[in-house]
This record gives sequence, structure tokens and C-alpha cells, in this order.
Amino acid sequence: MPIYSFYIFDRHCECIYKRQWLPRDQLLPRTPTTPNPPNTGDRRTSLAPSVALDAAANPAELRGRSGLSNKDDTKLVFGVIFSLRNMVRKLSGPEDNFISYRTPDYKLHYYETPTNLKFVMLSDVKTNNLRVVLHQIYVSLYVEYVVKNPLSRTIEHPKGKGVAVDLFEAGLDGFIKQIST
Amino acid sequence: MVVLSLFIMNKSGGLIYHRNFNSGLQSLSANDYLVLAGTFHGVHAITSLINPVNNTTEAGIRGGPPRGLEVMESEMFRMQCFQTLTGIKFLVFTEPGQPNVDVVCKKIYEIYADYVMKNPFYQIEMPIRCEQFDRELGKFLKGKQ
Repeated sequence: MPIYSFYIFDRHCECIYKRQWLPRDQLLPRTPTTPNPPNTGDRRTSLAPSVALDAAANPAELRGRSGLSNKDDTKLVFGVIFSLRNMVRKLSGPEDNFISYRTPDYKLHYYETPTNLKFVMLSDVKTNNLRVVLHQIYVSLYVEYVVKNPLSRTIEHPKGKGVAVDLFEAGLDGFIKQIST
Repeated sequence: MVVLSLFIMNKSGGLIYHRNFNSGLQSLSANDYLVLAGTFHGVHAITSLINPVNNTTEAGIRGGPPRGLEVMESEMFRMQCFQTLTGIKFLVFTEPGQPNVDVVCKKIYEIYADYVMKNPFYQIEMPIRCEQFDRELGKFLKGKQ
């Protein structure tokens, strides 16, 4: 069961971490790939290195069928989870929580911490509920490597600064490999 | 099977029918329900846009079956959305973990076709006020419990 992408949003509605494993335009003809720029907070990597695309060099490559850029994607994802969360709360009371939704093509899993940090994962339709996995990522990766990082002086991470730590990313990769097999 | 609530929305996102069958969801004002339906209509459109799988090769863009949100789960309910080819959406709210809700949706669509669409006084896209439809729906969903 493949995992497509993973997002973290902070309580200011900002995307502080983003990672994609399979390009949404994987079926389009590809130009030769170049390595990812190391400075960006959002990275696009793949379990199969040959399909990794360079976001900076080929912005057109990253457009889906809707002509949306990669950046708009994040905003749309946030808009959807924000609206659905409010809808759920309105319909069945403030103690209810939105868990996941499914379309014919993908499934979106959602986990929100008490501090309003939102973890979102897009996966294959057949995947079971990944809420536990998102909770695990929060507890054993985010808290351990990002929150407890002595070098990061801020509690908040504006523009994703300080989230994409090597240990966090390596741990995330390990997690994803485990569930995708 | 316990169906909590049913929403029917026309193709432009207006709520044309709403009925609570069992308690479980909060009862809101008519205006709130309209807002919820409108919001959902937008969300439904966006969910098909953020599709990470590229299906351009399939005939799924125009004329094909709708590819937006189908099932949404929360801790206290499960919502199944069934969109017909003409764009009408049926939202069925059930208890969490309820299987085979899609069958119920199709059956409700059938009842809708029989008692709403075949009603000569019903104006298309307008709120549904058909006694016969109410009765048949009640009968069908009561039998399901």
C-alpha cells in the first residue's frame, strides 16, 4: 500500500513540513532528472530514485492535470481538512474528531494533536487507518527530534524552519518503508 | 443499520432535502444545514483536484464517473457520499464502521427517482416536498434497523 504524501501544519495554518513520495504526474513523459535542491523545506523524494523530479528546475513538470502548482496543493489540502474538521464538529459536537476520508483514487488520514498541530497523510485507497502511524510519527519522531532538538531555539517553526532535521527525515523514511511494504 | 441523517443536494450545492432519522447528530438550524451543504459541495470539488494519482489516461475527467470524496469517517459517525451522473449528491450519515452503505445510497436514489422525479408537481433543483417520498423513505430505512 503506497503512501503518496505527508504534511504537517502548525496552529497558524502554515505548512511546516511536506514530503511526497510519488510524483502526481508520474505518468507524464519525463525529462532527465537532477538532484533535489537541499535548501527547501518541502522535498519530493521517491522510493525509486529514477522518478524523483526537480521542483525548481521544472515547475511545469510538477503540475497535475488541473494545472495546479505544487504549492497550491498544500493550501488545498489544508482547506479540505480545515473545512471537514469544522463540519464534523458542527454536526456531532466539539468532542468529535475527523479521522479520514476516501475518494476512488486515494485516502487521506488526519491526526491532530492537542496543541493543534495537524498531521496529514495521503495514501492508497486500500490502506487501513493510519491514525496510529501519524500518532507514532508525532510521538517518536516529531517530539524526539524536532521539539527536543537543543539547537532549535524556537518553539514554533515559521516557514518550516527546524523541522526538516536529518534524524527526523531518516526516521520518517524508515516508517514509510515499513508501512509501504 | 442505523441511518442517522440524510442530505440531498442539487448539482449547484444547494440543500434540497434534509431529514434526521435517529438522534446522534446535533440538530442545527435550517440555515446551518444549508451552509454545511454548501461547504461540503466545495470540499468535494477540491478533493478530486488534490488527487495524487494521475488518471489523465483514464476517461475520468469529463463524462466519467465522479471522483471526489466518497466516504468520510469521524469518531462518532461515518458519512457516505453518492453522487449521481447528473450531479445530485446523497449524503448518508450512519454510525461508524457501518458496511454496505453504498447499497443504501443506491436504493435511496431509486426511491428519489420514483417518487420525486416522477412527481409532476416537483420542480427540478428545488427543495423536495413530496409526502410519498417521505413515506417511502421512512418505510425503507425503518425496515433496515
